[in-house]
Amino acid sequence: MNLPLEGIRILDPSQVWAGPTCTKILGDLGADIIKVESARRMDIARGDAHNPQIDQGMYLDNEPTDKPWDRTGRYLDRNRSKRNICLDLTHERGVDAFKRLAMNSDVVIENYRQGVMARFGLSYEDLREIKPDIIMVTLGSQGATGPEVAYGSFGVTLEQTAGVASITGYLGGDPSTSGVLFPDPLVAVASVGIVLSAIRQHRETGEGVYIDFSQREMTSSILGDMVMDYTMNNNIQVPIGNRHRTFAPQGIYPCLGDDKWISISVENNDDWKALAQCMDNSVLENDSRFTDTEGRHEHHDEIDQHIAQWTSQKDAFIAMEILQLANVPAGVVNSGEQLVHDPQLVSSGFWEYSGRGPSDSRPYLSRPFQFSKTPGATQLPAPLLGEHTEEVLREVAGMSDEEITELATLGVTANDPLSFK
Amino acid sequence: MMPKINDFTEGKTLSNVASPLDGIKVLDFSQGISGGIATKMLAVMGAEVIKIESPQSGDISRSRGPFIDNIPHPEKSGQFLYLNMNKKGITLSLDNETGIDIATQLIEWADIIVENFLPGKMDEWGIGYSAIEQINPAKILVSLSPFGQTGPYKGYRGNDITAQSLGGLAFVTGDPSREPLQIGGEPAEYFCGLSGFSGALVASTYKEISGVGQHVDVSAQAGIGVAQMYSGLSYILTGKERGRRLASSPLYKTADGQVGITLRQTDWPGVCEMIGRPELEHDEKFKDMDAREKNQDEITALIAEWASDKKKQDLYHASQERGMTWGYICDAKDLIESPQYQHREYFVELEHPIAGKLTYPGLPMKWGGDQWNLKPAPTLGQHNEEVYGSLLGWDNEKINQMKNSGIV
Repeated sequence: MNLPLEGIRILDPSQVWAGPTCTKILGDLGADIIKVESARRMDIARGDAHNPQIDQGMYLDNEPTDKPWDRTGRYLDRNRSKRNICLDLTHERGVDAFKRLAMNSDVVIENYRQGVMARFGLSYEDLREIKPDIIMVTLGSQGATGPEVAYGSFGVTLEQTAGVASITGYLGGDPSTSGVLFPDPLVAVASVGIVLSAIRQHRETGEGVYIDFSQREMTSSILGDMVMDYTMNNNIQVPIGNRHRTFAPQGIYPCLGDDKWISISVENNDDWKALAQCMDNSVLENDSRFTDTEGRHEHHDEIDQHIAQWTSQKDAFIAMEILQLANVPAGVVNSGEQLVHDPQLVSSGFWEYSGRGPSDSRPYLSRPFQFSKTPGATQLPAPLLGEHTEEVLREVAGMSDEEITELATLGVTANDPLSFK
Repeated sequence: MMPKINDFTEGKTLSNVASPLDGIKVLDFSQGISGGIATKMLAVMGAEVIKIESPQSGDISRSRGPFIDNIPHPEKSGQFLYLNMNKKGITLSLDNETGIDIATQLIEWADIIVENFLPGKMDEWGIGYSAIEQINPAKILVSLSPFGQTGPYKGYRGNDITAQSLGGLAFVTGDPSREPLQIGGEPAEYFCGLSGFSGALVASTYKEISGVGQHVDVSAQAGIGVAQMYSGLSYILTGKERGRRLASSPLYKTADGQVGITLRQTDWPGVCEMIGRPELEHDEKFKDMDAREKNQDEITALIAEWASDKKKQDLYHASQERGMTWGYICDAKDLIESPQYQHREYFVELEHPIAGKLTYPGLPMKWGGDQWNLKPAPTLGQHNEEVYGSLLGWDNEKINQMKNSGIV
């Protein structure tokens, strides 16, 4: 099996979600990802399981064991297909080791708070001294410059300050954030292409580049309609629930059972006729108030009631099949369980098994795209802390066994965290 | 206060233009948001993108709006103008043999072909992947669709809310006591397109080394499936549903909008100081985590009363100065006026021949010391003469003949 990104090496001290998910995808496709963590401060995704404010603890099989940092769900999902080296970057020998790794890598991806890499002595300028054509990508929440560059944020803060929350919310209600902090995976998916663009430029010109990527700006970049409505018309958009500014009707409607729902979206008059016929409702189909989109927008509440009356007596999957057979865009609101068993995702191989052994093997989400000749696949389970330190130092940094032992003795490398909250 | 924006109005010359994809040739059959953003990313990063639109009405985004002054006009749709920067626009009718023949000739020019018709359409026309591979196996086809090119749902229709639903995102968004909620702005369409952009680069990287192209199959459902992460993961690891939860950053009304306040346990002294009640830090009712949980309602009321006559940006900055991570709800006006966005010159101004000078979001990354070169979206068929002339050698007579017969 060919892997499309074989031969590319990425040095990855990034943490949490955006950076690690980008490099996971690149690793699935064959790039050699060297994840750098510190025993002083592991990837906080390893420890997040303890933070009740962000999520309830999610460990493999609900069992933290005596090394919970290797079993945190978030960490396991986002860090497959990577090797792991544990390096203390506050120690000059750690910085030296990092530089030797950087010399033999194509890209460095990081998302430390502004100034941290410079304090380590690993800024872009520092790295360029040892490798003039290095590609460095900084995934800052606000970017690497500006009055708010040092501002901290959680994903939920970015949804608020990038503009998404202002148009997410129930009809007539308050702005709302998503349940899943999606600015991070958004940046991850876009970063794959951006990193590869820089690598392409390097192949063509021999030049590296410093890429300053702002997560907040990336999130605003997917709000084109909202921004243009203001810049063109001074119109401030507000939440519209599950409706659409153009299509009508659109909504999420209750089905048989507890917490079972279906989304239905009528894009044009043909869809409307088809929907009414599926619901066996000739009254609806022939009501002249509803024959065009404008009328359906105007009477949206009334139409919603008719639709809900029909869906609430149907199993969601049956309703979806009926509607899709009539060519109406309808989709079951998949729960977690339904998502894992979704026939389309299962048939396309979206869920990929990974684990350290048969008893730990679980299906995790894979990638948003498929390749006909170079499929890619999870290459490695999420690594233990420091699992590949020696092999990476030997193979990539060119260190001798003596040097490697010395680093361990000095505490520059480690296999256990210094503290765990 | 005039926002600081990059002025790309015609005539400005740029040295050191960021153009990492210079030399890559993209033939773009796609439309709407997912197709738009996929090939926009390629175009602004330097690839030459030729966008094919139907001669009568063009890309569906031209009819979707928002429109200037809320008056529908195919050259004044904000959605189209934003998503189609830097592309060359030609018209071509594909529902006939001549059109398909022309499309095939254009495919011969391209390195990468992008489309988002329903699965099977390109094959039906005889320009699907197997035909493209026959022309040259180094070519890459990127297909965007709601559910992918194969599988039980491949023939299903789907748009943004369909993907958010079947992709698992809606189930965990919104109020636990109410119906699930979509995220606004059509993010699933954007995810699909951005996955197409990244997938194209993966295939292109492989082709540069091996000489072998391939078919890239992007699913909007899978795209959002990657974003939802928590819902599927919770079930896989614990057997339990994560479901919808109340906001971890509850909103408080200010004089001019709302702030979102995430209160970590270590934030309490900072909060007391900010609301001008430093003595509360050691008050019995609030002295530790358990006490604060018990008296949460009182804390909420205190903060709500204090915040109600303040300005949201003031609170945002003041909290950050104290190492806390509050956010403020930004609408589009707040984004334009954001001191951070102004410093970054994130917004840009471009002049379009019919829509005029407008302000757009720019690119969310800086590329070394180089400048992005942004150009307005094409008018319908704007580059017909240039493209058909230079690529297929058509003279004016031929172009007019094609226009008259409705092929172009």
